[in-house]
Amino acid sequence: MATVTERVVRAEEAPVVIGRARALLTTLQRKPLGAASAGLIVTIVLMAIFADVLSPYDPLATQPEIRLRAPSWEHPFGTDDIGRDVLSRVIHGARISLWVGLLAVGIGTAAGMVIGLVCGYCEGRVDLIFQRLMDAVQAIPGLVLALAIVSVLRPNTTNAMLAIAIVIIPGNSRIVRGAVMSAKQNRYVEAAQAVGCRHPRIILSHILPNVTAPILVIASIWLGNAILIEATLSFLGVGTQPPTPSWGLMLSSTGRAFMEQAPWLAIFPGLAISLAVLGFNLFGDTLRDAWDPKLRRR
Amino acid sequence: MYKYVLRRLLLAIPVLLLSSLIVFSLMRVMPGDALIALMGESGNVGEKELAKLRKDLGLDRPYWEQYAIWLWQMVSLNPGHSIFTNEPIAVSLKKAVPVTLELAALAMIIGISIAVPVGVLSATRQDSASDYLGRVVAVSGLSFPEFWLGTLVITFAAIWFHWIPPIGYVSLWESPWKNLQQFLIPAAVLGFRLSAATMRMTRSTVLEVLREDYVRTAWAKGLEGRIVVYKHALKNALIPVVTIIGGQLGVLLAGTVVVETIFALPGMGRLTVEAILFRDYPVVQTNVMLVAATLVTLNLIVDLTYAWLDPRIRYS
Repeated sequence: MATVTERVVRAEEAPVVIGRARALLTTLQRKPLGAASAGLIVTIVLMAIFADVLSPYDPLATQPEIRLRAPSWEHPFGTDDIGRDVLSRVIHGARISLWVGLLAVGIGTAAGMVIGLVCGYCEGRVDLIFQRLMDAVQAIPGLVLALAIVSVLRPNTTNAMLAIAIVIIPGNSRIVRGAVMSAKQNRYVEAAQAVGCRHPRIILSHILPNVTAPILVIASIWLGNAILIEATLSFLGVGTQPPTPSWGLMLSSTGRAFMEQAPWLAIFPGLAISLAVLGFNLFGDTLRDAWDPKLRRR
Repeated sequence: MYKYVLRRLLLAIPVLLLSSLIVFSLMRVMPGDALIALMGESGNVGEKELAKLRKDLGLDRPYWEQYAIWLWQMVSLNPGHSIFTNEPIAVSLKKAVPVTLELAALAMIIGISIAVPVGVLSATRQDSASDYLGRVVAVSGLSFPEFWLGTLVITFAAIWFHWIPPIGYVSLWESPWKNLQQFLIPAAVLGFRLSAATMRMTRSTVLEVLREDYVRTAWAKGLEGRIVVYKHALKNALIPVVTIIGGQLGVLLAGTVVVETIFALPGMGRLTVEAILFRDYPVVQTNVMLVAATLVTLNLIVDLTYAWLDPRIRYS
């Protein structure tokens, strides 16, 4: 039988979601930069989903006879050193970046959330041990840790994604832990405890809804960072491997080697990375403005 | 204060021990001993040589013993030899650390010298053209990856000015001019990225402080604008800015990895990337630990600077 508090929370869940969507829409209408970032993200997502349809050429098809062609109507972003169409590769690169970003942030956020929920709810010794562990992971700069992890696991896209997920965990767990500790002070949690709700139920039904907003804000900002780290790992040769089109790899493999003869090989993939990161950063700020007025940036 | 420093130093020990355990376990995650397996893959190394190598490197000992030996090596500042070059790691670090230190320091100086004035200008002229320009620069700094900026700088410097970064490292003491030529552009690339977050924070905190009562009092008693902003507002606005700069240290150290690779600077970052690519485990674990220890120490220093900036903060 559902308790009174449970019924109250369940009844309030739907308005919370609607309220958040409305707050986001209002902020998007008020802040043109936020709307532009949302537009940018939608474009990148569509590019990733419909890459096969949108690409004018096969991203892997080589045509040595048209190598290093400057941008033209036929090849708007030019061609690379073995005659592959750069535009098609940039479009397909969105798929890799978004895939890695979403999965890494998904895994990192989920793991960080579980650790943060447990630490924030249980406190005491469990919290102490996990927090010191998180301190230890955070003592190593994210990129260096990701590099070390990938070097051990073997350089490829999946392992780069796992490495990024591990880098994300400590920061996320801290944010969730803080949010849980403050949510725990609410009267309805006390009431739920008083009426004999079990701990997992209190965590999932009463505390979790309170921490979703900060998690989503941080996740959107992390998506930009994850794309940046993936590109950096690929640039350094330990992420996505050739011939798969990845923005970072395109920059390092051909962009640098032919930079004087064909600067477009360096310009377009870099622009794609920057726009994607910019989009997610700005959208994260917009979400923060919409959902967390206390943290609002001027 | 001394007690606080001592307590922080003591707290740093378990964190660093845990970091070392993470790094050590990471290097042994692969089934079997990864290092020997990899060397054996080439087919050029015989079983006998492998066994000898395993013994020489101490890989035939139990894990806890290997960990204890490595810890002792780290503490006694003698972290062993590189597997590939056979050079003592301490010697490689002695060559690489000054390069990274110089790059990081120069990048930090450039970053702060861009961020603080632009942040203050943005705040004092809120919603003006210069404010918008400052904000656009800050957001681009956050979004442009160093490796792209670095590549573009090299590309266009070569195309337009026929300038290519000098090859072969020259130390500051040998030829300061040549050294500066090598370091200025990489440091500027790194500094630009660092300046972004600091710029945003400076703008935001100066805006807040400018609305405080004591600033209003300073205006009311007829002080010159420059004095109100720089003497009264800026010092108090700097506390969160120092936190942001502290938080950027990790970005800075990671940035040196990328920038050193692009500009062929023989620093810690490049040494680490090369060690990772060649799977030179002793070098990787030593470098990663050194970076972690540096970061923990720098964060402590950043915390201590708060007291200097805000006398209201007292450590106990």
